[in-house]
Amino acid sequence: MVRRDTAGLVIPLGLPLLLLVMNGSGDSPPVPGLDGMSQQLAYVLPMVIVLTIATVGVINMPSFLATYRRYKILRRLAVTPARPSMVLVAQAVVGLAQAFAGIVLVVVAAAVLFGLSAPADPLGLVVALALTTTAMFALGMLVAAVSPTPNAALAIGLVSFFVLMALGGGFGPRGNLPDGVAAVGAYLPFGAGLDTLMAAWTGGPLDVVQLGALAGVTVVAAAVSARLFRWE
Amino acid sequence: MAVIEVRDIHKRYGDTVAVDGVCFDVEAGEIFGVLGRNGAGKTTTVEIIEGLRTPDSGLVRVLGLDPVRDHRALRTVLGVQLQEGALPDKATAGEMVRLYRSFYADGADPDRLLGELGLDDKRDTFVDELSGGQLQRLSIALALVGKPRVAVLDELTSGLDPRACRDTWELIEQVRAAGVTILLVTHFMDEAQRLCDRIAVFDRGRIAALDTPDGLVARTHGRGGASLDEAFLAMTGADDEGDGLDDVLGGAGLDEADRARGDADGQVWS
Ligand SMILES: Nc1ncnc2c1ncn2[C@@H]1O[C@H](COP(=O)(O)OP(=O)(O)O)[C@@H](O)[C@H]1O
Ligand SMILES: [Mg+2]
Repeated sequence: MVRRDTAGLVIPLGLPLLLLVMNGSGDSPPVPGLDGMSQQLAYVLPMVIVLTIATVGVINMPSFLATYRRYKILRRLAVTPARPSMVLVAQAVVGLAQAFAGIVLVVVAAAVLFGLSAPADPLGLVVALALTTTAMFALGMLVAAVSPTPNAALAIGLVSFFVLMALGGGFGPRGNLPDGVAAVGAYLPFGAGLDTLMAAWTGGPLDVVQLGALAGVTVVAAAVSARLFRWE
Repeated sequence: MAVIEVRDIHKRYGDTVAVDGVCFDVEAGEIFGVLGRNGAGKTTTVEIIEGLRTPDSGLVRVLGLDPVRDHRALRTVLGVQLQEGALPDKATAGEMVRLYRSFYADGADPDRLLGELGLDDKRDTFVDELSGGQLQRLSIALALVGKPRVAVLDELTSGLDPRACRDTWELIEQVRAAGVTILLVTHFMDEAQRLCDRIAVFDRGRIAALDTPDGLVARTHGRGGASLDEAFLAMTGADDEGDGLDDVLGGAGLDEADRARGDADGQVWS
């Protein structure tokens, strides 16, 4: 029921692709053990994947739901047996399709333009991808649940997005951040998603605590957003 | 037992008293009209019945259910058309009916329902491409798709042309014939007269009169041929608040004119 939001796809599809194209190459040594993928790409690709998930989950989904609330579409649903969780899940399914499209786009682009190697730990990659998605989407639902207006949703979504991205290493390695901030950022969804995806792709060990943090954010944010959900 | 029981409900918004002690019962199989001018408290009243708003005081039961406490149970038996409710633009009529059908355990067949409502050929049309009448019929379809026992329809025909109004009225009569109890909100006299078994005339948050259409006319005019229109105006009082738009705008216009008359052509204004 939510679709043809073509304008809303510009950022989740376009921005990660742009960042990938601009930063994907660069003179960096190959990752040892992989057939030719540069360390630069091994950082940038997971980063743009997380970026895609985050823009869909934390920016697009909440502003969409808030618009539905604004135009009384949710109000109409409130007098049917539909539950808040159904509305949130329906929205998440649409978001999932968008995020999937965006991820396919950057992975294909990385393969075509740069020397992309197959992920060293496909199973770990799936786990990291799934948990990053659920965590980002749950956060987005929380933003959607508490935002009174579409403007508020966009503002809260954008601020959360930039904070997560900055602390998570989206604007450059977390090593450049103050130690304490970097430590926190590693367990917020952006940083945890980036690290675990990167580890899975390059064959480094997955940090169980980071995966746990992603799962924790998912559970808490989803539960709270279903609680706080407002139809109008 | 009455299908809808409303006992002395009150609701205020800040200084505005929206509903001020309303009581009525709607019997099974009845089309019950809530008639009144804009701002009379009709929507507030029916949205309290729907459980969308909570009254400050008073009691409401629909099929014995408390709209707030038992909202889950209520929503499976109550079909609603909201005055303020919308559908997403970029969904088709068919998608909307199927989506709403999916909310109910038992319900009408979406395709047949659309056919009954004359929307057969609009199944794949986007909501924002439907005409006012078609949108209204879609909205009725959504109110009925869960096979409700009670339907609350707020401003069913506002904005429709006379032809579409008449079609809609026929439809409502069919719905009632199917055994659905209907609470109908309107500010059109002819609609209330044509459709309703009984009418509650709302005025400033209260019920000014409650009777059959004929009874209401007889009350104000004895027997002879008066219309519900006149009865309604008599019951809800003259428009005695404020100076009237004429005075406000006319006054401003005159000031303008006086200033303009500083120049030549003053005659234009007088
Ligand atoms: N949510 C609200 N907030 C503040 N005032 C409201 C609200 N809803 C209704 N009112 C006021 O309550 C009165 C009754 O409104 P309403 O029930 O919508 O009347 P009707 O449906 O008969 O036109 C009006 O004066 C209206 O302005
Ligand atoms: Mg109204």
